[in-house]
Amino acid sequence: MPKDRGERRGSSSKGEGRGFRRRGLGRRKVCRFCADKTMQIDYKDTRALGGFLSERGKIMPSRITGNCARHQRRLTVAIKRARTVALLPYCTSYP
Amino acid sequence: MADRRYETLVLIHPEQGEQGAKELTNRVRSLIEEQKGTIGQIQEWGLRDLAFLVAKQRRAFYVLFEYRATPAALTEVERNLRLTDPVLRFVSVRQAENAPPTPDRTVRRPEPEETDTSLDAGDAGDMESLGEEM
Repeated sequence: MPKDRGERRGSSSKGEGRGFRRRGLGRRKVCRFCADKTMQIDYKDTRALGGFLSERGKIMPSRITGNCARHQRRLTVAIKRARTVALLPYCTSYP
Repeated sequence: MADRRYETLVLIHPEQGEQGAKELTNRVRSLIEEQKGTIGQIQEWGLRDLAFLVAKQRRAFYVLFEYRATPAALTEVERNLRLTDPVLRFVSVRQAENAPPTPDRTVRRPEPEETDTSLDAGDAGDMESLGEEM
């Protein structure tokens, strides 16, 4: 399956080179799913997915969570699946 | 046609009750088997709180089916689920062949139950006291 090819690439260090300065000196975020290979992204696991939602129930951007693109993609699909069966909210608390 | 591994999570209307949900689960099971599917496991998550209202309901019975079936069988199963009124919603996902079966612990029948009933009771109490005052 061609899908599996990307596994090794996982989180490649991106654009650390010249011409790209990281703002602030926070420590580099590492994709949680790449760091822990045993972690599965499953739409049924509300507890794990809930951590990637904002207070309003929006999906956190990878810029904040530090997820790699590959896992962020899977995560969003999983969250959206969970939403169709009302395991996770589309939106919480109106102003 | 090659058969594939699927899982379907079904939401059953709470009015069906524990008994009705069981019956419906059996109905879906026989539906899958009629389509020459083989059931891997069935998990009944019981009555769970919904993240938002679905068909004006706050809760629903969740049942997870893991099975092998052909793609044609899946469409037939899905068509039947859509025709079944007490099924609020469902989602079907193709599983990887080597994926382990869903462990029971993902189920984690969520806490509330007690707190929820106590809340309800509290509300009812308030109503009663209000009634008395009036």
